This record gives sequence, C-alpha cells and structure tokens, in this order.
Amino acid sequence: MKGVQLGEEALDNLFKSLLAEGIVDVLIIPQKIGENVAYTMVSDPEKLKSPAIFTPIFTVNAANVLKHMPAEKKIGVVFKPCETKAAIELVKLEQFEKDSVLMITVGCPGTYKLEDYNKHADEIGDKLDDSKIEQLKAAGCEIRPACKICEDKLLETGDVLIDRTDGNILVAAISEMGEEALTVIGEIELTDIDTSALESKRSAIIESAKPFREEWKTASEELRDLDKFLEVFKDCIVCKNCRDMCPVCYCKTCFFEQPLGKPEGVDLLNIVGLRGSIKVPSDSLLFQLTRMYHDCFTCVHCGACADACPKEIPLTNIFPWISEKVKELFEYKSGRDVEETLPLLTYQEDELQPRE
Amino acid sequence: MAEDFEPKIVVFACNWCTYTGADLAGTSRQEYPPNVRVIRLMCSGRADPVFLIKALVNGADGVFVGGCHPGDCHYTKGNYYARRRINALQKILEQFGLAERTRLQWLSASEGPQFAQAMTKMTEDIKKLGPNPLKEALV
Ligand code: SF4
Ligand code: SF4
Ligand code: FES
Repeated sequence: MKGVQLGEEALDNLFKSLLAEGIVDVLIIPQKIGENVAYTMVSDPEKLKSPAIFTPIFTVNAANVLKHMPAEKKIGVVFKPCETKAAIELVKLEQFEKDSVLMITVGCPGTYKLEDYNKHADEIGDKLDDSKIEQLKAAGCEIRPACKICEDKLLETGDVLIDRTDGNILVAAISEMGEEALTVIGEIELTDIDTSALESKRSAIIESAKPFREEWKTASEELRDLDKFLEVFKDCIVCKNCRDMCPVCYCKTCFFEQPLGKPEGVDLLNIVGLRGSIKVPSDSLLFQLTRMYHDCFTCVHCGACADACPKEIPLTNIFPWISEKVKELFEYKSGRDVEETLPLLTYQEDELQPRE
Repeated sequence: MAEDFEPKIVVFACNWCTYTGADLAGTSRQEYPPNVRVIRLMCSGRADPVFLIKALVNGADGVFVGGCHPGDCHYTKGNYYARRRINALQKILEQFGLAERTRLQWLSASEGPQFAQAMTKMTEDIKKLGPNPLKEALV
C-alpha cells in the first residue's frame, strides 16, 4: 500500500487540489459552518474554507446524495466508512458509475447524534480520541448505537483511506484510481507504507466493538416475537423518514407512494370493510416488513434510520440486525467491493431449499 | 377453537407447472382441503415477497408458492431467483415467528396427486400452528 503522512493544512490543500487540478468537478465533504458541521458540495476550490472531516458527528448518511447521479461529472466524496459502504452498494444498484466517483474514506472513531453533538460541541470538539469517549460517557454523552457496534471504522473500502492516529494523519491509496488522483497532486509523494499499525488498529476496533455487539444481539433477539415486534412499532407514524434517510433505499417512486402501498379514500374504506378495523395510519407493519426485505442485503448498518425516527424507535436493533441474519445466509457483506454481485441478481443451482 | 379452525391459505402458483398441476388434481378428482385460494402467476419468479408479506399482514394463515422443479422453469431461471427471494424473506419472517406460515415447493404440471398432497400437508401444518395472530391485531 502506498501513502503519505500529512499535516492538517496539507490535507486541506489536498482537497483543494482535487478540485483545482480538475481531478474531480465536485467534492462532497463535511465543513464547519459557524458552530455547526454539515456536509457540503463544492465545485469552487476557493469555497472550500473549513473542511471538518474528523468531526465525530452524524448528520445524514451523505451517500444519499449519490442516488440517481448522472455520470457527466466526476465527483469526489470524503466519507465515513458507512457512507462509502453505502456508495458501493449504490454502484451495484446502478445509481451511478463507479468510475465517476472518487471515494475517499476517513477512518471513524465513532460519531455522536446531531443533537448530542450540538449539546456537547465544546467538549467534543472537532476530533475524537478514545480517552475523550470515556470522559464524555461519564458526562452522559454516548456515541451512537450504530457506531458502538461498528467493526468497519477503518475499513479499507473505496479509493483512498485517511487515518488519524495520535494526531498523525495518513493518506493511503487503496485503488488505482486513488493512487492516480494522489499522484497528480504536485506536493504529494507516495511511498510504500507499513500497514501493520493499521492492521492492529483494525483488530483493536473489532475487539472493542465485541461487548456492544453482544448487547445488540441480546436486544435484537428479544424482538424475536411477534407481540414484541408489534409493541416496538406501535408508535410508528409511518412518516417514512427512516426510508428517506436510508442511503440504500433508492427507488425513485417507492411502492409506498403508489396506490397499492398507500391506500387512500375509497381504497382505504374498502380495506376497513374487509378487515373490520385497521390502525391509523395504516400499514406500518407492511411498510416495515417490506423495507426490511428491500434493504436486507444492502443495509450498511449506519443507523441513519434510527437517527431519523421522530418516535425514537430503536431501529438499529431491527434493520441492521435482520440484514445481518440474511447476509449470513448468503455469505454476503455490503459495501466491500463493487465487483461483488448483489445476492438477488445471481443464483446457484445447488443451494438453499427446496432443492427438488 | 383449534378444532374448528379452518385456515385460509393463499397459493401463488406458476402457470406452467403448479397451476397446471392444480388443474390436473381437479380434473382427476384428487381431493384436497378447500382452505386454499390459488392465484396464478406466470412464474414463481413473479412471486414478489411483498405479495407474501401483504397476505400475512392482512391475516392469511399461510402462504404457499409453487413453481417448476429446478431446471424446468419455462423462463429457465425464474425459480432459482424465487428460491433466493423466498429464503431471504423467510429469514426475516423467522425473526417474528412468521416464517413457518410460508412455504416454497416445486410441483410440476403432471404432479396432480402431489399438488393435492402438498395442499393437505400445508393445511394440516397451519392448523397445528393456529390462526395468524395478525388477523386480530390492529395493523
Ligand atoms: S436500514 Fe438503517 S442502518 Fe441500514 S443502511 Fe438504511 S439507514 Fe442505514
Ligand atoms: S421514521 Fe420511525 S415513525 Fe417514521 S416511519 Fe420510520 S419507524 Fe415509523
Ligand atoms: S415458469 Fe414455473 S417457476 Fe418459472
């Protein structure tokens, strides 16, 4: 693997150069805007004023922006691992051409929910280290459930990997496209790097996620019962925020915006007539089960759905969990490699049941 | 209650095999329980899992999908795709105790008696499970 150690200023310049040298036409990158941090789309390098790529905040899964993206422009993205993973699934779902997007993945220490970050912005600051996570936890501010269970915080996915350890920033090329992009930038000289430090950091990440994954498993398995499931979703108001914020829910016109999935007027009265009584808003269960099926292979465990739910339904215990169960069956992992085929687009003659 | 329980079972049957098999069962006077309602599809690959979810959510006690045997699909591979889809769906439904209410089975056009047997078996199994709790739930 080839890479380079950079200071913070040099890193900011790198992003500017990507635009200035025409390596990308548009860069999607989080920036500090006043007291807030938000994703921005930038075409003018002069307007790239305050990149904030290490700020541990989760606003939206920025891969959402790549849905239905035309191939005319070259886009660069500076994403968290769960966002790059979603981008990779979107390539498989033919939402854009891989060649038209340069994916830069920034190793992630875990993130705070927007509301929590805003409340504790001063203490959290624009970078997060393990010691701070503990301190903040004592102050009642915890990282998002999806981040606690994430094993992919330093996943080698996309074209370029940025890692920050003890204040040192490493920028490494992980694909040909990534290497080319970095080589075009004058001041950068790539050299072969020793990856053992990255490897051991990765193992440490998986190790520290373990206890949280156990908790997650228990909480999720408790829902393995229809009554509990109905109980969990009893508050769902079918606002569909979970769908809209999900980076891999990509249909232009969702089934639940069409007459069959969104019965109104006479259709609704007919259903009441048929069933005798229904809940209002109706069909939360149909909606949830269908979304589970639609996203069960491509879910990237980002927890954007949970963040978006106004009723605080613990969706991280539901969607990622179910997705994990389904993926196990097909030995599939989302967000690794654009060349990997989506399980529903292929088959083997001798597999699963029934065989004959 | 369990004694009188007569389940409603929705059957999605492929036109080229299971549906024709059902026809054969009828014309050759094979008896099978009147609990099944057969819906004809052009291929088991048309059985969108949403059909199964909708049937269950609306209170069907069981949902059965019948397709051509592997290698026999009129469209070559519709049944292989169906198998992946239904298996994924069953994995999801398993989390909520609903998977046992669904079944995928291959039944050819000449398997009239097998069709009748499959319907009898499905009806018996669903009777043992009891009514779909979603029938009474407010959904
Ligand atoms: S279902 Fe939820 S956790 Fe999974 S990708 Fe969509 S938003 Fe992220
Ligand atoms: S965001 Fe929450 S309330 Fe809205 S549809 Fe999704 S689960 Fe239901
Ligand atoms: S035509 Fe019968 S399963 Fe495809």
